[in-house]
Amino acid sequence: MTEGFGEPRGGAPMNEWLVAALALLVGLVPCGMVCLRGDPVNRLVGLEMAGTVDTLVLLLLAQAYDRAIYFDLALALALLSFAGGMVFARFLERWI
Amino acid sequence: MSPRGILVGALLVVGVGVTLASCVGVLVMRDAYDRLHYSAPATTIAPLAIAAAIVLEESFSAAGIKALLVALVLLVTNPVLTHATARAARVRALGEWAVQEGEQVKGDSP
Repeated sequence: MTEGFGEPRGGAPMNEWLVAALALLVGLVPCGMVCLRGDPVNRLVGLEMAGTVDTLVLLLLAQAYDRAIYFDLALALALLSFAGGMVFARFLERWI
Repeated sequence: MSPRGILVGALLVVGVGVTLASCVGVLVMRDAYDRLHYSAPATTIAPLAIAAAIVLEESFSAAGIKALLVALVLLVTNPVLTHATARAARVRALGEWAVQEGEQVKGDSP
């Protein structure tokens, strides 16, 4: 735990938090497919959903690597994906 | 495996399962209004289940409190985002609307 990303908790190569984070990553595939087709509002919904899934993945990874400071990353993404979604919604409503 | 470990695993399964089901729901629905419904379980049940699992494991340390904070932020911000997105979809489809001075508000048929 001195350099790099550190080791997963318990020293084992995998733990339940890492498994859950990997399983959640699969959820990004349908979100990406929604982002690739349809009109802009549909794509925005896919992007918002992907932001939520990413936040949960960061939450699980922070716990998997046992670093309290990594939880700030999930918090920042939750707030910024909200701000980004609001900006996109406003622009789609008025100008684009 | 301790009872606490089993409970943590069950909460993680609930959180991950609900999120994956919501992602599939977003994919298979027809229009943006239908899709928006599926962001609700992924931002209420899933973060609370995962935060509860982390609190069970860590108790109320810095990690547990921050996990609860993330769940709270998702819980509060997502309804606002859903409303803004649905409003944008409606304005794009039907044009800007506002109740004028002295106007009668009739039924909302397109």
